[in-house]
Amino acid sequence: MALPTLTRRQWLGITAAGSGLITVMLTLPALGFVLSPLFQRQRRETYRVGPVDDIPTATPTALTVGVSSGEAYDTTRVDRTVYVVRRQDGSILALANTCTHMQCNVHWSTELNQFLCPCHGGLYDLEGRNVGGPPPSPLPQWVHELREEDGQTVLYIENRYDESI
Amino acid sequence: MSTVDSERTGLRGRAGEVYGWIDERAGTTELLHKGLYEAVPRKGGWAYTLGSATLVLILLQLFTGIFLLLEYVPSFQQAWISLDFLQHSDRFGAAVRGMHLWGAYTLILIIGLHMMRTFLSASYKRPRELNWVSGALLFFLVLGLAVTGAMLPMDNAGYWTLVVVTNIPHYIPFIGTGIRTLWRGGDFVGPIALTRTFAIHIWVLPFLMFALIGGHLALLRRHGEFGAWVNYSTSSDDPEREITGRIRAAEPPYPTKRIERRYAAPRETVNFFPFQLGKDVMVSIVLVAVIFVMAFLFGAPLDERADPSTLTYTPTPEWFYLPLDQLLVFIPTTWLIGFGIFVLMGAAATLFTILPFIDRSTHRRPLERPEVLLPGLFFAAMIVMLAVLGITRLYNL
Repeated sequence: MALPTLTRRQWLGITAAGSGLITVMLTLPALGFVLSPLFQRQRRETYRVGPVDDIPTATPTALTVGVSSGEAYDTTRVDRTVYVVRRQDGSILALANTCTHMQCNVHWSTELNQFLCPCHGGLYDLEGRNVGGPPPSPLPQWVHELREEDGQTVLYIENRYDESI
Repeated sequence: MSTVDSERTGLRGRAGEVYGWIDERAGTTELLHKGLYEAVPRKGGWAYTLGSATLVLILLQLFTGIFLLLEYVPSFQQAWISLDFLQHSDRFGAAVRGMHLWGAYTLILIIGLHMMRTFLSASYKRPRELNWVSGALLFFLVLGLAVTGAMLPMDNAGYWTLVVVTNIPHYIPFIGTGIRTLWRGGDFVGPIALTRTFAIHIWVLPFLMFALIGGHLALLRRHGEFGAWVNYSTSSDDPEREITGRIRAAEPPYPTKRIERRYAAPRETVNFFPFQLGKDVMVSIVLVAVIFVMAFLFGAPLDERADPSTLTYTPTPEWFYLPLDQLLVFIPTTWLIGFGIFVLMGAAATLFTILPFIDRSTHRRPLERPEVLLPGLFFAAMIVMLAVLGITRLYNL
């Protein structure tokens, strides 16, 4: 049987329909794959940072704890800083040292009596409020809780901040 | 057949026979002739070596990059360890990595000069608008490769570059945080962010780049090298006749189509080979030699292993990124960052890319088009000023 000859118009119709189908088949999974981080749920984990009873008032003290991002396959625990601040009334802040400007590593400067970001000179006061330079908002806190263990107050944090920065 | 070919190529004996055999089947001689014997403007040949030098430097990056891939491991745990080994225990590793770094620095410099040359000589005007647009996109790709490349070592410098740069898109209104999440693969900067950046650096950007280079070169061959206005001056009493004569005598790819008559063919041309290619080769050799020497003398630095909990490390941007970093200091609050970076930078980048469609005058001499030259100089001065302020701030001068 001879194959029917294809007109250009027919060819165009078949090709357009076919490539449309292929485009959908190729792009939908690819798009879903690329966009998946937007929809994934983080695995929440809690870490023991350490006892905080000895931390002096009004002197931010840096503690270190291994934190996993809990995202996708990642279980690697990476050291992160928790700045523990004891206020006058005895309550505790667990500040992250992540600048809200560009997420650089802020540190407590004893000269300035403020948190200083070395990247662009952002400044935060003892409570983590942004008081100078470019930062748009206060330092975030780690989501945390204090537990009583054997007569000690121990700080635990989760692998997330109390607000998105 | 093969005797004719050996006469043309000058190859004798056995070599001539082998070449003749290949040529009969692959048409190499014809191909070489097409590639090499094109007319180019005679004046200013040294300025036109910048384009070929850019290509050579990009190929050098590809070459040294492939070698780095033989050892580098794109993993948060092992990236730094593999590079530490490459730097200190592998006899030539430090040199290869040094060449990749100094090659990148040189490439940014040369592609910048190439762009300035094209800007000053108004080579981007009709019908070469798409040469400029593709070139501008290539320039952005080179910057993208430079900044993603700086993130990969997972030393402190690389890690903090990764943190800061992936955070910048977050200031785009509405979709910014989503872009940051997609780039990082989450909120934290960790293993996923590194793998994704690695893929962007070695596949996504180079793939786009080589596609654009193909287009850029095809367009160049189609319209021919414009050169500069010096190649189009007339010296006789009857310029119209002189130009007509030029167009009649023009060799391919001239006369250029869809251009004002006086710019259709340069007054004097030479063959690309050997005249222009000779200069191209010389410039490229010098540049590669400089890169080689810098690689051996200074190499590429590798900081301490990345420490996300550090309280003492001061992140500093690469030099080519300094003006943008300084801009970040000047623009304080959230909406200003969104506005400043994305409206301002976006507008600047867009205007830069579509320059040929803005500057539509027929003037080609720099002094005859102050309406383009002055904004261009202002823009360049702003970048230099920001860079100087950035250096002053970072090094407390």
